[in-house]
Amino acid sequence: MKIGVYICHCGINIADHVDVEAVRCFAENHPHVAIARDYTYLCSDPGQDLIINDIEKYQLNRIVVAACSPTMHEGTFRKTISKPGLNPYFLEIANIREQCSWVHADRARATEKAKDLVLSAIAKAVLLEPLEETEVPVTQSSLVIGGGIAGLQSALDIADSGFKAFLVEKDPSIGGHMAQLNKTYPNMEIVDDLIVQKMRRAEENPNIELLTYAEIVAVDGFVGNFSVTVRKKPRYVDPSKCTNCGECEEICPIRVPNEFNMGLDHRPAIYLPFSQAIPSSYVIDPNTCQYLAKGECGRCIEACPSAAIDFTQEEEERTVEVGSIVVATGFEPFDAGLKPEFGYSRYERVITGLELERLLSPLGPTGGNFPTHWGEPESIVFIQCVGSRDKTVGNEYCSRVCCMYTAKQAGLLKERFPRARITVCYIDIRAFGKGYEEFYEKVQKAGVIYRKGIPSEIYKRGEKLIVKAEDSLLGEVYEEEADLVVLATGLIPSREADKVRDLFKLNRSPDHFFMEAHPKLRPLDTAIEGVYLSGTCQGPKDITDTVTHAHGTASRATIPLFKGKVMIEPITASIDAEICSGCGLCEGVCEYQALKKDDYRGHMTVNAALCKGCGACHSVCPVKAITVKQFKPKQVIVQVEMMA
Amino acid sequence: MAKRTEKRKYHGAPTALVIGGGIAGMQASLDIADKGFRVILVESEPTIGGHMAQLDKTFPTLDCSSCILTPKMVEVGNHPNIELLTYSEVIDIQEKAGGFRTTIRKKPRYIDVKKCNACNLCAEACVQRERIPNEFDMGIGKRSAAYIPFPQAVPQKYVIDPNHCLMLTRGKCGKEPKCQKACGANAIDFTQQEETITVRVGAIVVATGYDQFDSELKPEFGYGRYENVLSGIEFERLCSASGPTQGKIQINGKEPKRVVFVQCVGSRDKTVGNEYCSRVCCMYTAKQAHLVRERIPDAKITVCYMDIRAFGKGYEEFYERVQRENIHFRRGNPSEIYERGLSLVVRGEDTLLGEPYEEEADLVVLATGLVPRKGAGNIGKLLGLSQTPDGFFQEARTEETIATSRAGIFLAGCCQGPKDIPDTVAQASGAASLACVQLAKGRS
Repeated sequence: MKIGVYICHCGINIADHVDVEAVRCFAENHPHVAIARDYTYLCSDPGQDLIINDIEKYQLNRIVVAACSPTMHEGTFRKTISKPGLNPYFLEIANIREQCSWVHADRARATEKAKDLVLSAIAKAVLLEPLEETEVPVTQSSLVIGGGIAGLQSALDIADSGFKAFLVEKDPSIGGHMAQLNKTYPNMEIVDDLIVQKMRRAEENPNIELLTYAEIVAVDGFVGNFSVTVRKKPRYVDPSKCTNCGECEEICPIRVPNEFNMGLDHRPAIYLPFSQAIPSSYVIDPNTCQYLAKGECGRCIEACPSAAIDFTQEEEERTVEVGSIVVATGFEPFDAGLKPEFGYSRYERVITGLELERLLSPLGPTGGNFPTHWGEPESIVFIQCVGSRDKTVGNEYCSRVCCMYTAKQAGLLKERFPRARITVCYIDIRAFGKGYEEFYEKVQKAGVIYRKGIPSEIYKRGEKLIVKAEDSLLGEVYEEEADLVVLATGLIPSREADKVRDLFKLNRSPDHFFMEAHPKLRPLDTAIEGVYLSGTCQGPKDITDTVTHAHGTASRATIPLFKGKVMIEPITASIDAEICSGCGLCEGVCEYQALKKDDYRGHMTVNAALCKGCGACHSVCPVKAITVKQFKPKQVIVQVEMMA
Repeated sequence: MAKRTEKRKYHGAPTALVIGGGIAGMQASLDIADKGFRVILVESEPTIGGHMAQLDKTFPTLDCSSCILTPKMVEVGNHPNIELLTYSEVIDIQEKAGGFRTTIRKKPRYIDVKKCNACNLCAEACVQRERIPNEFDMGIGKRSAAYIPFPQAVPQKYVIDPNHCLMLTRGKCGKEPKCQKACGANAIDFTQQEETITVRVGAIVVATGYDQFDSELKPEFGYGRYENVLSGIEFERLCSASGPTQGKIQINGKEPKRVVFVQCVGSRDKTVGNEYCSRVCCMYTAKQAHLVRERIPDAKITVCYMDIRAFGKGYEEFYERVQRENIHFRRGNPSEIYERGLSLVVRGEDTLLGEPYEEEADLVVLATGLVPRKGAGNIGKLLGLSQTPDGFFQEARTEETIATSRAGIFLAGCCQGPKDIPDTVAQASGAASLACVQLAKGRS
């Protein structure tokens, strides 16, 4: 064995607290060590050249680098030693910075510890085995789950980069919650113009295949090579024939609350989700259609002039092969009924923010006007943070959009009813985006009154609603008469997200939104390679931040597609088939679904592409049939012994 | 002596230009380079890393900032598809047939980067040693004229400060420059000249970042007058284990027992022309207050605020946690700060109690806001970009924060508006996405 040992000063980072010369002398005397050197910065080019030259000159076959954490430079030095032809895995790092010089003040004892760390690394280096990375080709397409603004934007970027994108949407139309909104803040643009334009672009893009009214039922594979099964629900209407004439809608005898309008009006069992829906086709609601339930009715079949209605349609399943997956399952509004003190659903004129959006929309159930029997309101109260920043309902987080959508709605109503007294009850105003503070100022100047303090209850006195609260700035309790109360309901993860989480085994943060790989530097990735998060499924955000996020996710999701291949790290679990009894305990602890039983042979197998080499399986295996390469028991134990 | 000029052409892979090597520019570069395109990353400072390298810990997880940043810096430095041009600036951009011809000026480092092994001997030998305020430590620490901005700098190469080096300012430094004598690698070269590089690129990502608001513009807070009134980033350096005090929160060797934080300094403030919210100060203050509590357990800590904007993931939860650590959040920003005896007095109105207050302090930290980077206006002119009323670059539309009015030019990070690290990283990846769409078009 000819080992080269290299001790880095890291400038003064190591050298100030560890006597590197003493460590070098110590290493040099080891029987397996052919050469030991110290250097100011081993990661610098001259430092790396030093190692390369030595490998050639002394015919070194193992390298020990005593320096910073392997997370910093293990990759660097693997590349270095492979240049003169050494297997890159013949490298062992002794971390004498983070685990030694940075945490110890006593130079003599730190030096002793550094010696132990180096000795232990040498001992392991002797036992290192050559490993090879494997290269796997990538299917150059992507799957996007969710057809709201986040999913649409990610799919558009993927498609514009030249790759095929499958866009799966659970509802009959793409568009998501954004399609329900009236105007954007702070520029008061008409939302329809923005979202419909994106929906059309997605529909027309030859690289995007829309799979609406569909859901994911199974996922298999790994980064670069996912195989996803999508179940398409029957629409019972042939979109290629449907002309949106509306004859069917008129004749249908059923009326149920219209989800798109937040239940503020009714729709038939055969319906167009909203006027600009894409695909632009009617759909039959299987839960309420009488023909599907009892075989009675069928009037729509006769009414349809283009024979588009087809009750024989059945569920279809298809499997798509993709290289990466974007999760964009979005949010749903907090259920205001969970705050009974505000009387939502008890009082007609206590409504949610999203309901007000529909009432204000010219395409909404009331053509953009308040119901006539409401008359002209004299007083309107907005209540912020309903379902947000509220531990009593289990949501400690801020929903990030309610302050601003309330400011927008309050501003719009002030314009419409200049004489009305409009009050916003708040905790803190979070106007943090570009132009938001300026907008908040403008709304205040327009005469909207901001009162600090969230109301404790709402009740009725005569025809009027009474909002009871404490003004925490004045330090006094007040009662405000109101003709309309708008609850700024927060955002919670979409129910659909549960299914997706189960299929992918995605992690969640304590707020129940999907957890990103790192809260600071990897906000778009997940712990699963090849699966990325886009938009509000990762946490509440406004349209602007969602679109930005979605562009970013597309970048992450196209990296493997552009590369065309993925490298599989060789440090993975491996199974000794002779010993393994196939008990399956390891499968239960594996976070990455890398272990499966080979039923024919009766033992477990490892999917190297999914395995991260974490070693959880090894620790539970009762017969120790699983080992992790480069961390085999003998390799680890010898290290421990040297430290003792 | 004639300046060296060079024209580079990359055959095969289309190239993107990224302007700015902070976390935004780094993330955009890595995403573009990982897709197989070439990147030229231009950074005006001698190292990449930007402001994030100066931070101590990051909210809300309290990750050590440089521990998570420096591996990324190394990745940028080692990436085969990224050409790093530090200590350089873009001086010209011309639109040419579906792309841009850009000219970059590389300032002389006066150090041969091929020879320098970052041994620090030049800095130790320098006659200006411990005399020049260290910008990285916000002037709290001192450095030599031959220096490396911070130990984890990428590239790991020294640089000689032309404004302070005696050889470069006076043409003479004793009998012979001590640094030159000390350098074992013979890397010091005072004859180095500026270089100009011209290169064609298919897309440009602008990531010029931000500057800290100049607190002296709020004279009522006494910044610059009182040594124990610090700005946000100064306090970061004071907390940092690699900073000038090795992470000890001390003013003149004394530990402050009464600490007051003042929010919205230079933000939400029309008197200084900044109506906007800087988006990060509420949270970095909450984090800094936590760090004081951690290191000085018996300190009296107050945060004066207008609204607490804890809007990001896990932020409200962090704000809650900090409140429980016996940190007093007082609504109402101070009107003035003055000295009385050995203490500072912070005076304001508590808007919740509806009464004026006076609070004594040994240390006041101003939560300074973010303003567009000096010189961003010039880059804007070169690129033909306009600015929003807040001075940050104008995006294509409100909800399209990355694209600009010019095809092929994209924005990433705080140059478009203040934002925290995760929002910056997301936007930077987004800029990479749109830049690659552009580059992929050019390729086919």
